[in-house]
Amino acid sequence: MPNLRDIKRRIRSVKNTQQITKAMKLVSASKLRKAQEAMLRARPYALKTKDVMNSLAARCDKDQHPLLNIREVKKVLILLITSDKGLCGGFNSYLNRKTNQLIKENEGNEISFLFAGKKGNAFFQSKGFSVVEDYSGWTKGYKFNMSADIAKKLTDVFLEEKADKVYIVYNEFKSVIQQEVIAQQLLPVVPGEAKESGQEVDYIYEPGQEGVLEQLLKMYVETVIHQSFLESIASEHGARMAAMDNASRNAKEMIEQLTLFYNKARQAYITTELTEIVSGAEALKG
Amino acid sequence: MADETLELDIVTPERLLVAEKVEQVNIPGAEGDMGILPNHAPIISTLRPGSLSYEVDGKSTTLVVTGGFMEVAENRVIVLAENAEFANEIDRERALASKAKAEEALAGAKLSEPEFEEAQLRLFRATARLENVDGE
Repeated sequence: MPNLRDIKRRIRSVKNTQQITKAMKLVSASKLRKAQEAMLRARPYALKTKDVMNSLAARCDKDQHPLLNIREVKKVLILLITSDKGLCGGFNSYLNRKTNQLIKENEGNEISFLFAGKKGNAFFQSKGFSVVEDYSGWTKGYKFNMSADIAKKLTDVFLEEKADKVYIVYNEFKSVIQQEVIAQQLLPVVPGEAKESGQEVDYIYEPGQEGVLEQLLKMYVETVIHQSFLESIASEHGARMAAMDNASRNAKEMIEQLTLFYNKARQAYITTELTEIVSGAEALKG
Repeated sequence: MADETLELDIVTPERLLVAEKVEQVNIPGAEGDMGILPNHAPIISTLRPGSLSYEVDGKSTTLVVTGGFMEVAENRVIVLAENAEFANEIDRERALASKAKAEEALAGAKLSEPEFEEAQLRLFRATARLENVDGE
């Protein structure tokens, strides 16, 4: 027969865990709201930058700027945005899986990494890829400056031909409970289709087409990275909230089962004791 | 009031500041200030740190913008600024302090080129901010 005290101890421990998961869920929920707002506020900027970039790039030659140059791919750089902390469900493992897939697609090419987040770093560390830079701990306080910094490093690496292609892998925020892993080519910049409203417009460029293109591309890269980070932050909190909600529910279920088990065991214990007393009394009467 | 208006959007990575129909926009372009009126020719220009103002019903509003772009096409003005704030949001003390700091850095010389540019940019920005605060 199971020991009553042991069951009780287990119930208490599960209850403690549940308290923690519940608290984490609430914390994530409030952080999520903030992250979501930041992300939504930044979206217009990202979209508009993209629009302007597309409409400009459509009028330019591919070889007009080195960042648009498509070279033969020998070296690939991956910017992997993960979280620093775990307990957020499949958030990081999906990212790592996608990255592995990307590595397989690029078999034969030299692969290096720029890590943002401890989890990606920890996963790929032992596999012997060269690391350009490691931004572990970025989730503590993210600022736009960091993206500008990373953008500068990536473009430098690309322009020095230490990488012929740069990918960015991150979680895109779909909804509170849903994220999608995105692996996107960052460099060379691939301009999308320009939204053309009828006739070709001749723009005046100040200061000159090249100067504008130069700055615009720089800004575009920064913006893409910035947006990815914001999406990733919101996704992480969303994923953690969902994971903790699940955990709390599981804990609740477990407590219910254990309580039932405990009550049964107690009942059995009382019954045995009663039988013993009764049979003892019977024997005495004898 | 003019019959025709421009649609003006001012966005930064942090937020959308302005989305309005306006009559005129004055923009600190890289090669000089520009006044944009309705039916302006399409133009893409980079911005220098400075003050941007626009008019709605004859009332003028001023912002300080730093870096970025603007595009004018088909009576739509899109300003993509790396940083922008309304003149009345500016903290005078902070602007003064950052101006002093930038001046000090520039006077100290021995800066590498990017450091020099950075300090210069900060000085421009601080100056633009102060102009707007003191102007009122």
